Amino acid sequence: MPERKKSGTNLLYSMMAEAASYDDAVIMGRGDPDFDTPEHIIAAAKEAMVQNHSDSSPPEGLPELREAIAARVERVNGVAYDPASEIVVTNGGQEALFLMVLTLIGPGDEMIVPEPNYNTYLDSTRFAGGRQIEVDTFPQQNFRADPADVRRNVNERTKALLLVSPNNPAASVISPQDMRDLVQIACDHDLFIISDEIYDLFVYDDVVHTSAAAMPGARERTLTLNALSKAYSMTGWRVGWVTGPAPLMERLRELKAAITGATSIISQYAGIAALTGPQEPVQMMADTYVRRRRAVLQALDEMGIEYGVPEGGQFIFADIGFTGMDSMQFAQRVLTEQHVLVYPGSAFSEARKQYIRMTFLQPEDKLREGLERMKIAMEGIRAELGNGSAS
Amino acid sequence: MPSDSVAALLQRHRANEDLNAAVISAAARNALDLAADAVVGPLDERIIEATGAALDAGHTHYEPVPGIDELRAALAQHLSEATGAGWDAANLLVTAGMQESRFLTLQLIDAGDGATALPQVLHPGVRKALGTRPRETVSLAVDAERRLPRLQAIRAALEGGSRLLYMESPSRLTGATLDADEMAAIATLLADHDASAIIDRGLAPWVAGAVAAPTERVALIGEAFPGAGIASWLAGYIAVPEDWLPPIQSQKQIMAICTATPAQFGALEAGNLYTEEQPPRLEHMQALRSSLQDRARAAGLDALAGGAASVLALRLSASQKAQGLTRLAEASYQVADGSDFGAPDLLRLTVCDAAQAALDLLADA
Repeated sequence: MPERKKSGTNLLYSMMAEAASYDDAVIMGRGDPDFDTPEHIIAAAKEAMVQNHSDSSPPEGLPELREAIAARVERVNGVAYDPASEIVVTNGGQEALFLMVLTLIGPGDEMIVPEPNYNTYLDSTRFAGGRQIEVDTFPQQNFRADPADVRRNVNERTKALLLVSPNNPAASVISPQDMRDLVQIACDHDLFIISDEIYDLFVYDDVVHTSAAAMPGARERTLTLNALSKAYSMTGWRVGWVTGPAPLMERLRELKAAITGATSIISQYAGIAALTGPQEPVQMMADTYVRRRRAVLQALDEMGIEYGVPEGGQFIFADIGFTGMDSMQFAQRVLTEQHVLVYPGSAFSEARKQYIRMTFLQPEDKLREGLERMKIAMEGIRAELGNGSAS
Repeated sequence: MPSDSVAALLQRHRANEDLNAAVISAAARNALDLAADAVVGPLDERIIEATGAALDAGHTHYEPVPGIDELRAALAQHLSEATGAGWDAANLLVTAGMQESRFLTLQLIDAGDGATALPQVLHPGVRKALGTRPRETVSLAVDAERRLPRLQAIRAALEGGSRLLYMESPSRLTGATLDADEMAAIATLLADHDASAIIDRGLAPWVAGAVAAPTERVALIGEAFPGAGIASWLAGYIAVPEDWLPPIQSQKQIMAICTATPAQFGALEAGNLYTEEQPPRLEHMQALRSSLQDRARAAGLDALAGGAASVLALRLSASQKAQGLTRLAEASYQVADGSDFGAPDLLRLTVCDAAQAALDLLADA
């Protein structure tokens, strides 16, 4: 599968800029929860300011925050890490991702990546001088990567496997058996694993999230990222983390010090409050996403748009190929005509030009408004298809 | 409902006499840390109020990659006033602090086919940032007193094919600055050789009077409004010609998406207050530095003239330095070792009250 030629990241940002110019825009593209950050977290940030916590943080983060992360990871993911040597706090999941790639991938190295995937992985891999080898996935299997396909793509240049579960943009979740098989491939070929688990609290329909590092043989070769952005609606605070074995984390910590230094102290204190405070807001958001997801799937069914059933995360990857339009044309039309922002699949992969990525991160009334407008756009497209004029 | 109000928190804060001091200096907060290049100043209540209000208003989501417009404009205005050049918000990108500014400029500004020219003496974060994806470098000789690059070394590097020059003015180690004539000569050299420069001017607000900088072919980097008590909130800037910004902004997207919103809104309010608050801070620091320098010289220590009021560099013999570092460590003082900057004969102290006791220990050594 060919590499993408143009950065999808830039494409998405230009669409967001256009959406921002419409007063009535409905944003169903970006992964930014519409909820405000829970009150007790904001209160903790204010308290930290008032207490003048002007003390500097080490690059790896405040010890209290790393302890809170260790407790969270052990509770949710079933893996124990030493806060002193096996956890680094980052400027959100995005920096975590960048640091993990730079830690493991060097010039000429290859990383096997299920396709489609979050576009920043390619950007980071290119920065490191490495190359992504993409393994195709299919909507009929809800975009789950087949371990046999992964194994077939391993060669002497392969350095790491990227596992994103729940996946962005395809919303697939790696099953426990597939996770065991994928970890076994890494063990058999002495590969590292990069595990992106930022949506681990959001799985649906009795699907179970499995952490790669919890599998036998995985911990010593796995770097895992997570962040507060999605679970606590804290995208603007930029707090994430990487966990992994001490030798890898030592290198990652050096990179963190070289690239950005410490993470903002106020955000770190907010992070401590998020992880150690009441968790009801997280559950409330998760419950809401269940309802919204159902509403979006129902609307897509009504529009006759097919999709891989989203098992986790905050996205739906839907097939608009029947319109005869590519995803960029489709997304641009819906944006310009109806002021609804969905992301074109081509921003994630050249091979996914017939897909769009939709989120359900809007209040339900606004979400329904956006879906109604999409229906209008679809009626127009279908009418043109009937006339043979859709493009 | 907003969370616990800032006003309520401040009321509690005011009840705490220790924290209600007019000036909370580094000496008060951590008496023994003299390794920073600027003292941690008091945090103005108005900064807390403004930041808290922004969070209550919902500024907890992603902000634009290059930073919030108002902060970019405030930084542009500050730089325009400080340098005499016409910086605009469109030239500015807000970073998550000084190290990200170093990394993004060193990695993304085009160095052509030549080596990146680095002074022998500079902040260790520069070499760290370059080391993440190594570029060829060439070393620039520095003068003995200021530890700033010599003009003939810059000329030789550019004639040798270097197209990107990194400099600090003021020096992060000595606080010394390049004067207007030197900067004008550097600007001419850059133009003559179609070259560019990155200039760290993070300590410039600690210098009385203007710190010169070229107006073209240059990236200026630094902390956002230093001295306002938000150093650890980590907001910095990159100011570049508009056509240099896209690759830097793209990389910022890739590795961070945006700078933390509390840091940005805190820096914005710090900027609003800067014209009013920074001059008395600078005056206080200048007086303190002057007294420390006199004390050092009276004790027989070789204190460099420097320039920035936030740091005091001392030149020591190898044995003096070894003994001095031992004495300081025994007393739990941390200072910046010039060896980390490429100047093994220097130590640097943060200018603050606690530096007096450290100087006495060094004098005894």
